[in-house]
Amino acid sequence: MTHKKRKATELHPAAQLYARECHEGKLSRREFLTRATALGVTAPAAYGLLGLAAPAARADTPQMGGSLRMQMDIKAQRDPRTWDWSELANVCRGWLEYLVSYERDGSIQPVLLESWEANEDATVFTLNVRPGVTWNNGDPFTSADVAHNIERWCDASVEGNSMAGRMSSISEDGALREGAIEIVDDLTLRLHLANPDIAIIANMSDYPAAVVHPSFTGDDPVANPIGTGPYRPVSHDTGIGAVIERNPDHTWWNEGNGAWLDRIEFVDLGTDPSAWVAAAEGGEIELTYQTTGDFVDIFAAIGMPESEAITAATLAVRFNQEQEPYTNRNVRRALQMAVDNAVVLELGYDGRGTEAENHHVCPLHPEYAELPPLTVDPAAAREMIEAEGLGDHEFELISIDDNWQAATCDTVAAQIRAAGINIRRTILPGATFWNDWLNYPFSSTEWNMRPLGVQVLNLAYRSGEAWNEAGFANEEFDRLLDQANGIADADERREVMAQLQQIMQDEGVLIQPYWRSLYRNLRPNVHGAEMHPTFEVRYHHYWKS
Amino acid sequence: MLLFLLRRIGVMLLTALCLTFVVFYLTNLPAKLETLAKTQAGSRISDAEVASWLERNGYARPMVVRYGEWLGVVPGWTRADAEGTVTGRCYRLAAVEGEAYVPERCGLLQGYWGNSTRFRAPVSDVITARLGATGMLMAWVLIVMVPMALVVGVMAGMREGSRTDRSLSTFAIASTATPEYVSGVFLIALLASSTVGLSPLLSSWGWIDGPVLFQGNARSAMEQITFWNFALPVMTIALYGMGYIARITRASMTEVMTQQYIRTARLKGVSFTNIVLRHALRNALIAPFTVIMLQIPWLLNGVVVVEVLFSYPGFGWTLFEAAVNNDIELLLAASVVAVVVVLLTQLISDVGYVWLNPRIRIS
Repeated sequence: MTHKKRKATELHPAAQLYARECHEGKLSRREFLTRATALGVTAPAAYGLLGLAAPAARADTPQMGGSLRMQMDIKAQRDPRTWDWSELANVCRGWLEYLVSYERDGSIQPVLLESWEANEDATVFTLNVRPGVTWNNGDPFTSADVAHNIERWCDASVEGNSMAGRMSSISEDGALREGAIEIVDDLTLRLHLANPDIAIIANMSDYPAAVVHPSFTGDDPVANPIGTGPYRPVSHDTGIGAVIERNPDHTWWNEGNGAWLDRIEFVDLGTDPSAWVAAAEGGEIELTYQTTGDFVDIFAAIGMPESEAITAATLAVRFNQEQEPYTNRNVRRALQMAVDNAVVLELGYDGRGTEAENHHVCPLHPEYAELPPLTVDPAAAREMIEAEGLGDHEFELISIDDNWQAATCDTVAAQIRAAGINIRRTILPGATFWNDWLNYPFSSTEWNMRPLGVQVLNLAYRSGEAWNEAGFANEEFDRLLDQANGIADADERREVMAQLQQIMQDEGVLIQPYWRSLYRNLRPNVHGAEMHPTFEVRYHHYWKS
Repeated sequence: MLLFLLRRIGVMLLTALCLTFVVFYLTNLPAKLETLAKTQAGSRISDAEVASWLERNGYARPMVVRYGEWLGVVPGWTRADAEGTVTGRCYRLAAVEGEAYVPERCGLLQGYWGNSTRFRAPVSDVITARLGATGMLMAWVLIVMVPMALVVGVMAGMREGSRTDRSLSTFAIASTATPEYVSGVFLIALLASSTVGLSPLLSSWGWIDGPVLFQGNARSAMEQITFWNFALPVMTIALYGMGYIARITRASMTEVMTQQYIRTARLKGVSFTNIVLRHALRNALIAPFTVIMLQIPWLLNGVVVVEVLFSYPGFGWTLFEAAVNNDIELLLAASVVAVVVVLLTQLISDVGYVWLNPRIRIS
């Protein structure tokens, strides 16, 4: 072993570096927290590095008891690692917990792990399992359970297992690499990465990374609800609703810090928000899962103020570079140039977010590098299109029939049209849209946020990746991305990041108009249920007054 | 009579067979199967994964063969994996039903309706539960709609051209000309919103306790039906159907009122009330009776809109969910149910005819 083991109390050297940068104003506090906690520094210690006390989690004392009704889609359950909707995970959060969690302030907090440490070059991670955790069937929770779950995540032979891509640094040929996990003792294990990967811990906070019991084999975590959390399912009816109650036969490791509600009822009211309003007026729901567009204000008007989460979630209006005429870089650049992202944000998303810069790295991300502002020049765009001989070509922009996504694409298309370029809009229903989402020549896709900037680039823009819908294949980009994945140091990674972002812009990969703020509306007597940037519904921390 | 019934049942089976084949064909087009695979195994899976999912779940066989599987005339697919464990259509169905014995064929003929991919439950369970919910809705709709329609129609038709006739006819035409998706939204805005319509007024006068008069969402009616949560969906469907039946009743009533025997009755001094109730009504109800029976399948149609609008999980809502998610076996079962409902109501209307009008004979 090449790495030098550090004591748990010792701080990662990079963390101190970050703290200095934060003091010098090079790093925002949120960025600092994300980065420092990803290196295994606990949140209070991270706040301490800044000379601050960790914020008190709650101003009021939570009250025990009560039941809560929430609007949320209830989809047919399946194996957690193949979850493709956050809603699937949210139902199960009461009993299936995670190793770590991503917080609203950008930090990563331990849950079933007590702490973790990375070595100098982020190739060896030591995970310390939280002692005293038991499964609700009585079994103790040990490092072997963690190893079992990681092995499950690495199995790429399971269709739709999106964890496999997130665990690529410890897998080989679609399975866990031999010797990648070393079980040190009952409560300690070590991950040996093939290449430096700073995102591996952050990836374990992603919603498909729910920790299941070794006996779990089927694909229904509701029918077989063995977990470590304080709740258990009562009923689960796809498309209708789910009921969850506190589990009286199980002592939760975090007793006294949550599980306030006796009962949570999820109500699936379909996709039409006006039906949710009607239900909220009749007192059938107390909070929404996510509210978009005008409905944020409509709900506020009926006595349900909104809760906002600033995120790095976005809509990627991307070109597929394998399809004509988008194989031509000039065409992509021209279309980008015709679109003013500020206008798209204003008209397409009611200004509820921040402007983005067509490279899919958010100022929220720790490694974000600031590039010169984009140029918007419709006249030059038209000239470039004509120079490519496409003056009479009719472009087509495809989107799903979702409200804000369609409105955003309408605005993009309107601006392209205003530049004197022919473009047609096609809106497909959700049922058919996803059939071919990877291959549409020019279409929009909703992307949820990831804590680190490199994560989305890894998932969506590396050559040959499963979700690379832009058909982007650039050797230099891949090489730089590999390099960035291994740089724990902030400024160093930002330098590489600036190059990556520049390549994204130069190659005209996508029109990425804005970063969305997310909203949820809730009754004033519901507490602890603020909107979460990654849509997490941690109902074991909700309470009612 | 017996021959008539047999013939009717024969027609019913033939129609069901044709319709299910059409539905089967449409839901098994390659693009539709791809949708299914993606809703089942992950919306962002690759084409290779789609192909392997379809292969492993028996969707790769020719369409006609799979239709035969569903009917139960062709043996269900089986597949042995590397470890020698055999799975297949019949293995899964038997497992869901909790049976140890695995039949060779498992289709409609053997009593297997299949599994719903959307709800992950046996189709028979889904359909029965949802039909029950729609049954409640329909029952209340008929209870409200039929008497209202007949009263309006008879009142309008007994004195053709009178002021009563004109005003009731206008009402009937207006209500039947307003589709459910308009009247439903209108009723919600008028009666179930805390910001517009009547509720804010009533609430500020202190006449109602909550913020709204009626509930604009019927989900709570799943557990307990109350006047407040069920009135709006029932009224939405009833208003639409009512106008139509009232118009037919009126037409039939005016025709009867001009008959010779009615004039004779008037001449001999029978009171107007008696003429309407004793002499005219029975004859005037023959046409509306058929229409009411015809209206039931139409209502099944209308419940799709209303159940989705009020998020009431009944048959119409299930049909919508099944169609959106390409739930093949659920859609097939739903079409069988639809055919049975249509032909059954026709049968009742034919038999009822004989009772209302003894001059008509069935055979």
